[in-house]
Amino acid sequence: MLRVKGRALGVFPVVYASLFFISLLVGRYFFVTLHPTQIERIILLEVRLPRIVAVSLAGAALGLAGIAFQNVFRNPLAGPGILGVTSGSAFGAAFAILVAPFMVTPMAFAFGLLAVFVAYKLGEKVGGTTLSLVLSGIIVSAIFSALLGMIKYLADPYNKLPAIVYWLLGSFAGVGWSQLTTAGPMIVGIVGIFLLRWVLNVMSMGDEARALGINVDLYRKVLIVLGTLGTAAATSLAGMIAWIGLVSPHIARLLVGYDNMKAVPTTAFVGASLLLLCDDIARALTPAELPLSVVTDLVAAPVLFVILMRRGVYGTA
Amino acid sequence: MGRRDNGLIVKGLRASYGNVEVLHGVSFSLSSGVGCLLGPNGAGKSTLLKCLAGVIKPSAGDASFYGFDLINSELKERARLVAYVPQEFSARFPYKVFDVVLMGRNPHVNVLIGPDGKDEEATWKALELLGIADLADRPFTKLSGGQRRLVMVARAIAQGGKLMILDEPTSFLDFKNQFLVLSVVRKIAERFKKIILLSLHDPNQAMRFCDVAFLLKGGKLIESGSVDEVLTVGTLDHLYDMRSRLVTADGIKFIIPLAAAL
Repeated sequence: MLRVKGRALGVFPVVYASLFFISLLVGRYFFVTLHPTQIERIILLEVRLPRIVAVSLAGAALGLAGIAFQNVFRNPLAGPGILGVTSGSAFGAAFAILVAPFMVTPMAFAFGLLAVFVAYKLGEKVGGTTLSLVLSGIIVSAIFSALLGMIKYLADPYNKLPAIVYWLLGSFAGVGWSQLTTAGPMIVGIVGIFLLRWVLNVMSMGDEARALGINVDLYRKVLIVLGTLGTAAATSLAGMIAWIGLVSPHIARLLVGYDNMKAVPTTAFVGASLLLLCDDIARALTPAELPLSVVTDLVAAPVLFVILMRRGVYGTA
Repeated sequence: MGRRDNGLIVKGLRASYGNVEVLHGVSFSLSSGVGCLLGPNGAGKSTLLKCLAGVIKPSAGDASFYGFDLINSELKERARLVAYVPQEFSARFPYKVFDVVLMGRNPHVNVLIGPDGKDEEATWKALELLGIADLADRPFTKLSGGQRRLVMVARAIAQGGKLMILDEPTSFLDFKNQFLVLSVVRKIAERFKKIILLSLHDPNQAMRFCDVAFLLKGGKLIESGSVDEVLTVGTLDHLYDMRSRLVTADGIKFIIPLAAAL
């Protein structure tokens, strides 16, 4: 069906570019024109273009965080949120909505980083292995989820609570050029993980990678920082975006194999394309925008099922 | 170069897991050929090999290879000199055999760029040397235990270096594959003049394939020397707390276990 050999890596930029172009055209107002009017120009360049850029960067950053964490933690089920970054960001955003609504993005970003920092420190206290990191990630996520629940309970149910719930459902609506300051951390994450794609191969060997000359502890830290920067930035910009980070690497591996030299660049394009597709559906399917996480759940989760059907679960494949 | 700088020299090596010390100051040297660690389960064989391979850090002691410090050196530099074949390779992702062997080239690779044609060539060479080039495109996870072990040895060959460390290269292998893997290791030692240190559970295999034996018990070296001198009924009975006897058939010596206690 979708078998592409390694040589055909060039296909993915083309698929992505086509989606990028289509995304410019679709939406509440669908138009194709060579001579846009003033209104159309604003819609294209000031509304749709920044949004598409943001969606692309977020999709690539989440996908790459996913593939980085899956290799570092040697766990095909790892997603960008495994160390608690998304739970931290969710709490940060909700807290900001409650006390300082103009601070939502920076607070979400800061608390996402804080959550991972705490999880990392806790993990070091209990052994510093990848397993202890994953466990401390679960603990930190649980604590921030509890705090988020507390905030929801305290929030004014007519005004603040709907805003929190809406934020948590995720959306790129209203993202303009001025909000694209979060592009910085996302680009750092994307470029960094791309450069370390060979290291990911060796890191997936676990502690044994030391005997191959890889400073496992150093690169684990670097990759966690890179994945967390990208994920925290994407989440703080658009709320909780589930599944993209987990599913994109699996799609990429199905297409080009497990070697990260190929799988990493492919994952970036798959993540960007998948999130663009979901965002297009979210803003064009119904007159009112659908929440993004609803669309990603409905699109990406079945995709994972199809992959598992085709390839089997790891270890049994 | 003085005599002391010849080959692998280990001095007073200690290692702990948490507060439990499992190696209590091990010293030995190996200047050529195949050396074999023998000892009961839990004697510290794997720990010792992991220390020398750089997988874990010893708590005290020195180890050097032709004067090169194996304990405090930079990982990449050491990996060019020492290759390690782990006891178990738990692949989480079904990499192709070629990719697994290519990872052995890591110490020669610029990590931000990845392997180049030279590394791929070295990978093919290693696969061909072990006669497994036809497996190159197969997923590593779908191989048999014997094939996997050969792939890991190929990875160590691709890695290069003068010292090869193998942790129980015969574990989980059938009767024939144990023989096959050890024959390959022996050939590599002779053909490339590599120094090889491995651990085994069967003293008979040590007698056939190795030159020197190091007997490890309770984290201490209790005896070492050429296999003919060291691997006697007396020392082995003491090493394993058992009773055995020696028989000779077709000029080959065998040690046969009789009872599991002295």
